[in-house]
Amino acid sequence: MMYLESRRTFLKGAALTVTGAAIAKGVFSTDAVAESVEKSKFTNTPDSLSFYPPLDQWEGFQELDGTDWKRGGIDRHGVQSEENPDGILVRDYMLVPTACSNCEASCGLTAWVDKKTFTVKKYMGNPLHPGSRGRNCAKGYATQSQMYDPDRIPFPLKRAPGSKRGEGKWIRTTWDEAMSTIGKKMADTIRKGDELSRKSVMYHVGRPNENGFVPQVWETLGLDSYNSHTNICSSNGRTPTIWTANDDRTSPDWANAKLIFLNSSHAADAGHYFQQSAGFIADARKKGAKMVVMDPRMSNSAGMADLWIAAWPGTEAVVYLYLANRILNENMVDKKFVKKWFNWETLMNDSEHLNFMLEKGQITKLPAGRDFESYLELLKDMYSPYTLEYAVKETHIPAYKLEQLYDMFIWAGDAISTYIWRATAAGNRGGWMSGRAAYFAIGLRGAIGTEGGTFFHHWHVISVSGKGGSATVGQGIGGADVPKVQAWNELTWPPEWPLSTYELSYLLPHLLSDKEWQKKWNDRGLNVPSKLAVYIPRMYNPVWINPDGFRWLEVLKNEEIMELTMNLSPVWSETNWYMDYVLPVGLAGERHDQHSEATMPARWTSFRQPVLRVALEKSGWKPNNPVRGTLEAHIKAGLGEVWEENEFFFDLCVNYIDPDGSLGIKKMWESKRHPGKPVTIAEWYDAAFGDNLPKLKETATNDPRYANDEFPVYSYLRDHGVWLEEDKIYHAMERELKIEGGEVSVHGHKFEAATMSVGAGGVISATDHSGKTTAIGVEIDGKKMEGFATLTKKLEFFTQWAVDWKWREYAMPFYPRNDKEKAEMEHIVSHVNHMYMKEENSFALNTVFRLPYNIHTRSANSKHLMEISQNHDPIWINTVDAKRLGFKRGDAIRVKIVDTVSGLESGHFVAMAVPTEGVLPGTLACSHHGGRWKLTNAVTIPNGVSDGKVATGVAPRDLTDKEFLKESPANAGRDGAQTIIDNYEGTTGLNSFGVPVAEVQMDGKVGKLKYVEGIKPFHTERFADYNRDSGNIWWDGLSGSWQNAVAAPHPDPVSGMHCWHHKVLLEPAQAGDKIGDIFVNYDNNLKVYQAWRDQLSRGLDENSTLRRPRHIKRPWVRLDPSVYEVSIKA
Amino acid sequence: MDEIIARSNIYGLLSRILLQELDEQTLQTFKTDETVLEFLPHWHEWEQRLSVPNQQLLEEYLNPDFVNLSILHLVPYETFYTRADQMIETGGANPVTDMYSAYDFIVDYEIARVVSADHIGIELEFMHHLCEAQKKAMEEKDVEAVQELLAIQHQFLNTHLLKWAPMYLINMKYEARTPLYYDAAEMALEFLLSDNEMLSSRIAA
Repeated sequence: MMYLESRRTFLKGAALTVTGAAIAKGVFSTDAVAESVEKSKFTNTPDSLSFYPPLDQWEGFQELDGTDWKRGGIDRHGVQSEENPDGILVRDYMLVPTACSNCEASCGLTAWVDKKTFTVKKYMGNPLHPGSRGRNCAKGYATQSQMYDPDRIPFPLKRAPGSKRGEGKWIRTTWDEAMSTIGKKMADTIRKGDELSRKSVMYHVGRPNENGFVPQVWETLGLDSYNSHTNICSSNGRTPTIWTANDDRTSPDWANAKLIFLNSSHAADAGHYFQQSAGFIADARKKGAKMVVMDPRMSNSAGMADLWIAAWPGTEAVVYLYLANRILNENMVDKKFVKKWFNWETLMNDSEHLNFMLEKGQITKLPAGRDFESYLELLKDMYSPYTLEYAVKETHIPAYKLEQLYDMFIWAGDAISTYIWRATAAGNRGGWMSGRAAYFAIGLRGAIGTEGGTFFHHWHVISVSGKGGSATVGQGIGGADVPKVQAWNELTWPPEWPLSTYELSYLLPHLLSDKEWQKKWNDRGLNVPSKLAVYIPRMYNPVWINPDGFRWLEVLKNEEIMELTMNLSPVWSETNWYMDYVLPVGLAGERHDQHSEATMPARWTSFRQPVLRVALEKSGWKPNNPVRGTLEAHIKAGLGEVWEENEFFFDLCVNYIDPDGSLGIKKMWESKRHPGKPVTIAEWYDAAFGDNLPKLKETATNDPRYANDEFPVYSYLRDHGVWLEEDKIYHAMERELKIEGGEVSVHGHKFEAATMSVGAGGVISATDHSGKTTAIGVEIDGKKMEGFATLTKKLEFFTQWAVDWKWREYAMPFYPRNDKEKAEMEHIVSHVNHMYMKEENSFALNTVFRLPYNIHTRSANSKHLMEISQNHDPIWINTVDAKRLGFKRGDAIRVKIVDTVSGLESGHFVAMAVPTEGVLPGTLACSHHGGRWKLTNAVTIPNGVSDGKVATGVAPRDLTDKEFLKESPANAGRDGAQTIIDNYEGTTGLNSFGVPVAEVQMDGKVGKLKYVEGIKPFHTERFADYNRDSGNIWWDGLSGSWQNAVAAPHPDPVSGMHCWHHKVLLEPAQAGDKIGDIFVNYDNNLKVYQAWRDQLSRGLDENSTLRRPRHIKRPWVRLDPSVYEVSIKA
Repeated sequence: MDEIIARSNIYGLLSRILLQELDEQTLQTFKTDETVLEFLPHWHEWEQRLSVPNQQLLEEYLNPDFVNLSILHLVPYETFYTRADQMIETGGANPVTDMYSAYDFIVDYEIARVVSADHIGIELEFMHHLCEAQKKAMEEKDVEAVQELLAIQHQFLNTHLLKWAPMYLINMKYEARTPLYYDAAEMALEFLLSDNEMLSSRIAA
């Protein structure tokens, strides 16, 4: 048909017997729905996916309820109104910024507080955050499920009187009772005033996620008892940084790098600064950067890398030294940089050490001269044995991959960004040497401090959380008037490891049980504690995460060794079950923290906040008790009697430890504005930020929005949640020393300019007002610069001071070149090196990679994190090995752990085999982030409901209701004021979404764990609306093993790091074995720790005069210089 | 005036037959209305049209064919044809909804039983409503509104229906296993093209 012809036919359509309107289905409507859409400002499509409400709308931002999308957009039902009751609800939000706390990266978050219901409907990113740029990973969004966790601890818990630790009998107590008991015990201990008492109250933290607040508390208490988890995490990653730059850690500039060289999968998928790093790495790759991942396991990062190199665990240093050899001998050295910033003169002037190197065969001849060219010749000589052939043999990496790596390394010029954390460092004895060798190779190419290069932590971080002293009566500006601590705690800094990067925290139960060790050092003149008066883990789960968990249980249960214990913890954990008190403090949206991390070449800080409290205060509410504002707000919000640490410690110090001021502690936390009362959050943070961040202070105080504000700096952070003090920090070591008004300022310290003098190697010294002389910079080519934080102010690839601490042979980057050297230098040879794998079924087990959804034990009850993390923790075994041993996918295998120092067996765990090409033959991978357990499904707290029935308020929870804003709980936290907990009948589940039930047996020598019941669907009334999906649980949680408990402690002789990897023997499961079973000989584990200590460490002896080099970091509290001095009896 | 009535009726008719399975009442119209039969010559001549009872005709012949043509094997949605990834945009981001919204039209999905507003039946019904509006304007002698509505119809045809419906209809012709749907596809194709020619010439004039 031709169109025009058909047209005539179509005209006949007018003659239809029924009209089109009658035939048509009539799918369109134009009623109130359309009108409501027209009247509203809402559209179906945001203008851009990255849309975020502008800051000036954060206090009142309207958005359609989430059901909008499920119902197909407003066009289907329109906007809810009186005329259109079926329409989609419009929520009126207040956006309150905070920062994530589910890993250490501190990405920005905003809580979307629904004004009408006074609940957080969602957590989104904070677009103002320079590092996270509005984005979050799965853990960030999980904050909401943690806030409305049906099993979160609703009020302070106390072990029932008459019951034993671990019996699981609990009563409800009040914050006041707990603080009175704990405060008194602490005060009684402190009041003794002797050396031992200053080591007998211990605080133990996992990831602090704040920059200095709690350490400041312990400093004002005069105690050397701040303990951290660092030595089970990153010490071997920090040691090379300390030895090389006297800095804490690497700070790469991923976004501008040409080569992203990850030693482990760490930055891009499994941990440190995960989400922020991943974003920056993606930016760089978009610009053409290459990514290399060095990891025996094919991680997610490795899978998407340009090159995956699987080195045998602990041999990574060889890879870097192979690169160094070629860089040197192919004349690719950035001579200008090396000459300027390596401490080559120190080495070339140290004849004794040069002779030592010759004697040990580290070099074949002494250098011809002492000039720079002779230094380069020496390096060429020293590193020439690290040939391709040798590297292939020792690392098991194919030659072609090493050659590709070298080409990429050279191609990238000085834009090489790297990370040396976790995998190698955390897994292996001597893992620190790989970081040292990495810096060396990178330094030879001049890629330190450059755009796109690798730099160091302290230039990229802000630590002011503990520096609000000017708001108090006694601390002085920045805490200047706080007396230095007069004790050295051997439980955290044992004499065997004088160079340990952080505390030997994982040895705490061993040191407390090891009476021989205590006696030995007491006999030699030290004063070693044999017990703790008070032990306070904070949101920390030492029982589960540390090696040799049964030893922890033994010690925690022993009331003679641990006299009083409490955990400041929002959720249940393996550790909490054995505590005397569990005091619920809040999560990411429920606490104050100043938190900054070196995630980019800039200095930013985030400000974590209790978002519901902030929303209340911004709406006009005021707490009854100014130091319990967060507690009152959380009671009002129905979260329970949940508090935060800042206010807890303000109150504890002033009103419970030292109420009469006789200990000198009260004034430290007493408000200057309101003497007699504890300092408040606004006072403290206004001072902490304002006194220390000049650019922020200038911005906030000149901002018209805060013109009449009592605390403009605090308020600025409260409203923005983040601050960027300094951006694009490169080559900071080249900053010239600034002299003003006769003073020279370096890193916030002032020195008299007139006292400046230039000594050997150009090191500039100056004297401060107290008369102390310090090296403050370096003069190179006539320019006075800050330099690095080392003694020579340069990068110390010859660490001369190591000689004084008995480690001369490792003063330069090195790796043994043959079996003889391996035997002699076992301190830097991994305990899982292939030379130890003599049996057919022996393997090196890589344990330290993270399951990226589950960083902290406290997120175990987030449903959506659990849902994506199930059945993800098998044992990876190469297909060739699996075939050889006859293991098939899904088989249960016994993984028997054997120590290569003592030869002792630790026991075994049972895991599921998954044969894969994604792991280096001869090695296995099984993350130690699996295997959570609990002893019972639920616990009833008899007086949890009957004790106290105070309503949380009368007015409905509604931020727009004036009556609601007038109300506040009276006497919050005090006896008689226990509040009704919403929908809570006295029984609570224990991590019902994420943790299965197990049976634990232990007899002092042998421990066993067997799972008896998996996770099941359940129903909860508590926060029912948020947990309505709790019936939809398809996983049983029985995929991991508590392998940490089987692991014996392996203290690295230099760094003190627990070297996580194991030599294991694989055996088929035996009758009755189930995946998840563990069997531990923890008596042997104690002997393993002793073997590592006695055979490998080089501790203090009768010739020692210092406990530790004074110039390297001794974190947390400032010690009086005198406590470094030591005298050890022969 | 006949022309607008005819156009409105045909858009209504086509929208109905392409949107959902026929019900018995509509089937009756399709079986008996002489004008309809004139549009659908093969259906007109098909013996079973009259020999098979209505219920059986629907259940055994017409409905299976419809399901095949609009649900199982062919996809009568605009975004399926216009998006590079061939995904149907079921949310608010479907471009056709902007056009509906602009004229206060909202698709009632309870009635339409489609997954997205860019279904061929919906788009044809929208054209039917535009024609109805034009008819009303003509009755009220609102010349300006008539011109505007002609322009809107032309725009809608060219930005939506003609961008993809011919491809669907050609496919439908090849896939159809009953004369009714074969003819309906042919008719819709011819009608859309000729209607566009008419609108183009009107607007040009």
